Amino acid sequence: MHIVDGALANDVVIGGAVLAAGGIALGLKSLTAEKMPAAGVLSATFFVASLIHVPIGPSSVHLIMNGLAGLVLGWAAFPALFVGLLLQAVFFGFGGLTVLGVNTLNIALPAVIVYYLCRRGIASNSLTVAAISGAIGGGLAIALTTAFVAIALALSGDEFIPAAKLVFFAHIPIMIIEALVTGAAVVLARRVKPELFATFNRSAAEEVAL
Amino acid sequence: MKKLCAALVFLALLPAPQALAHKVIASVYASGDVVEGEVGFSNGDMASDATVEVFDDNGNKLGETVTDETGAFTYKPEKAVPLVFKANLGAGHVAQVRMSAEELPEIGGAEASSPALVAAEAAAGAAEPASSGTVGATAQSSGVDLAALLEAQHKMITEAVQKQVIPLRRDIDAYKEKHDMQSILGGIGYIFGIFGVAFYIAARRKMTAA
Repeated sequence: MHIVDGALANDVVIGGAVLAAGGIALGLKSLTAEKMPAAGVLSATFFVASLIHVPIGPSSVHLIMNGLAGLVLGWAAFPALFVGLLLQAVFFGFGGLTVLGVNTLNIALPAVIVYYLCRRGIASNSLTVAAISGAIGGGLAIALTTAFVAIALALSGDEFIPAAKLVFFAHIPIMIIEALVTGAAVVLARRVKPELFATFNRSAAEEVAL
Repeated sequence: MKKLCAALVFLALLPAPQALAHKVIASVYASGDVVEGEVGFSNGDMASDATVEVFDDNGNKLGETVTDETGAFTYKPEKAVPLVFKANLGAGHVAQVRMSAEELPEIGGAEASSPALVAAEAAAGAAEPASSGTVGATAQSSGVDLAALLEAQHKMITEAVQKQVIPLRRDIDAYKEKHDMQSILGGIGYIFGIFGVAFYIAARRKMTAA
């Protein structure tokens, strides 16, 4: 899921960087002191999850966990995931520094979309609804990420359909795994720390109102 | 539902060729009068049948070659210029590796550029008159043969050294790709550090505001 240096056209790289910078700015605005520890933990989760490889057929893909980050953090997922991506690029050479903007956008924008789509379900009184919403969010975030990767490649000259197919099908197992993990995480959070999603969503809603 | 699941699993198992396996790695080394190289992914999958394009430093295309099933390729350089090898493995994976002019293999007819060989020839030239007394006519009449002999010897030594060095180079390449516990923990530490500082700033701001 990390596009590497040199794979994309210059205007895609620049456009991605500008959009990612906008997302990070919005995210920092919504990153209240209460959200900060959770953002740090989710950033670290993303950082480590990307190192876990799942062997599938002749190849292997890695976990991403951007859905969970989006559900908990909303727009604050942008800075959290950006930090994780930056350190991965520096420490392990995943992706690269010039494509950091595009990679951030590909990973964090689906997280934000999932947040808006699933936050009501997560906060629902029924635990089952919350679990299913979490699972949908976890899986959908990966699906959207594969679509964004394919768009970035298509804008750089690759054919959209084959690129999208390649990335999407390779990530179906990841979607399933992340749906399960995110659903379970939502249930756990609702049981152990029921105020987690409610508090965050309220504070985010207040900010939007402001 | 069962059918859908089966279809999804089947699709997932379809060999999406090398889809997003992971970081791409490429290495090149001189071997005799050709450049040998490898392209693959950091998880050990090599890129077979990939087109490797060769450019000079200014981006002019010099030629191209195709990898075999083990991801290895050879390229015979014609000019003593730095070479840039590029391979597009699809889905945002581009391998790029540069070989500087000093690392280049000997190019046919340009052996004189090798300082070791020049020194060897000079030594042979000095030795020749000294030995002419005893070895006599044979050595003198075969001055050309001697040069050819030296050249063959030089080639043999180069080959022997390369044979020893290539496994080492592979080990070093593999070592560079290894991420150990230290860097993972280091990354997590950085993330907590960054968010800790951010939390500190946010908390201070809150306290001064209050």
